Amino acid sequence: MKKLLSALLIAALTGLVGVSGAWASDDEEFDPVHHAADGYYIDLEPGGKIELPRLFLIRTADGSLGLEFFGSTASALRSGHYVAELAEGHGGAEEDHGDAEHDDGGEHSAGTEAHAATTDVEALIASGAHLDAHLVPAQGSLILDLSITRHLFFGVLSLLIVMLIFVPLGGRYKKGTGRETAPRGLFQNMMESIVIFVRDDIARPNIKQNPERFLPFLLSVFFFVLVANLMGLVPHGAAATSNITVTGLLAFFTFVLVSVNASKEYWVHIFWPPGVPGWIKVILVPVEFIGLLSKHLVLCMRLFANMLGGAIVIFGMIGLVFMGKELYGIAGGWAAGFISVTLSVITMFIKILVALIQAYIFALLSALFIGMAMEEHGDHHEHHPAEAVAESAH
Amino acid sequence: MDPTGFAWLGAGLGMGLAVLGGGLGIGKLAASALEGMARQPEAGNDIRGAMIVGAALIEGAVLFCFVICILLALK
Repeated sequence: MKKLLSALLIAALTGLVGVSGAWASDDEEFDPVHHAADGYYIDLEPGGKIELPRLFLIRTADGSLGLEFFGSTASALRSGHYVAELAEGHGGAEEDHGDAEHDDGGEHSAGTEAHAATTDVEALIASGAHLDAHLVPAQGSLILDLSITRHLFFGVLSLLIVMLIFVPLGGRYKKGTGRETAPRGLFQNMMESIVIFVRDDIARPNIKQNPERFLPFLLSVFFFVLVANLMGLVPHGAAATSNITVTGLLAFFTFVLVSVNASKEYWVHIFWPPGVPGWIKVILVPVEFIGLLSKHLVLCMRLFANMLGGAIVIFGMIGLVFMGKELYGIAGGWAAGFISVTLSVITMFIKILVALIQAYIFALLSALFIGMAMEEHGDHHEHHPAEAVAESAH
Repeated sequence: MDPTGFAWLGAGLGMGLAVLGGGLGIGKLAASALEGMARQPEAGNDIRGAMIVGAALIEGAVLFCFVICILLALK
């Protein structure tokens, strides 16, 4: 019965993908990287696209700073203050199919700085290419593009979800439910078990001194990363953690916490390692210094690459449908649809697991780095092997 | 052969090699972890936790390569 159900589900999903594959016009390109990347709109295909507000910090022609706000990319273009600079295709896709004209983008050669000052703004907006275009002010220069992007939107949304869950729950504990009595209700029990998991399995084993002090940070990071990762699996959603600036900022927070709380020994070990001959110090100190930075860089890259990679793999698998249709016609599209839907459903299940593991790893490594940096001299036995052996013996 | 072709070749080959290395690494890790768990079932939970961390670290190295390959293929 269950097998039948799952077979039916896959067939239904195949139908959905097959139909949308049949709808896709021939000149439309499919590029997984473009779909996984950030953008200035929320894709609700086949229900259309919602354009997000644009916010620009510009230096106007007379040299003063200005802040301009528009409800959408289209309105920014219609106002005439901005011109669209079209990107050369989506990355490498253009060269891949030289015959495929990418809307107006095809006539714009790669690498030239010439602004494709499209006079016909309305035609551009109608074609939908303005969403992928790079906006430059008609007068003055752009300092900062503070526009709200898809990743920012979903990042803030996951932040709100986390707050919506935990602020009322925190209130409950303040009142005493769960502290003096047992936690009540499915929800509180569920969340408490996760919080206790973070406390007992992430914070306490890794941070020796006062782990409760870092619990607010670790819990916030864990739940934010978890919810943001899972947002990437919601239909039409995007994972804020597949943006390197988001993960970079999270890793930077860890870096600041580590640096602020580090013991004297930690800095001494990096900049003047004890018990090492002088000429080795010349090699060791730069290596240690790079290690100090790269630890946190890797922390940020791991989460980013994991989420981006997963999204690209799923989009790539869905792309097989279009590929099958191009190569073998509609029947090929349906056959490829069956395979790719099965594969992408499996990948999505793996991604649920990855979302959990990555949140765990991020919080765990943050705790590990903080704990390592706080370690006092007496806590470790690197320079006294005999002592370490004696310690582990009993 | 034009330079973009070489870049794609490099990206494809690089990704393949990275996955090969990562797969071998995680395979070795899982083999040792399973052996450890079979010998000492009571330490299973600790070993599993350490294994997941180790796997994530290996995966991190592969994903570095993945990012580089994506950049190679796009730029």
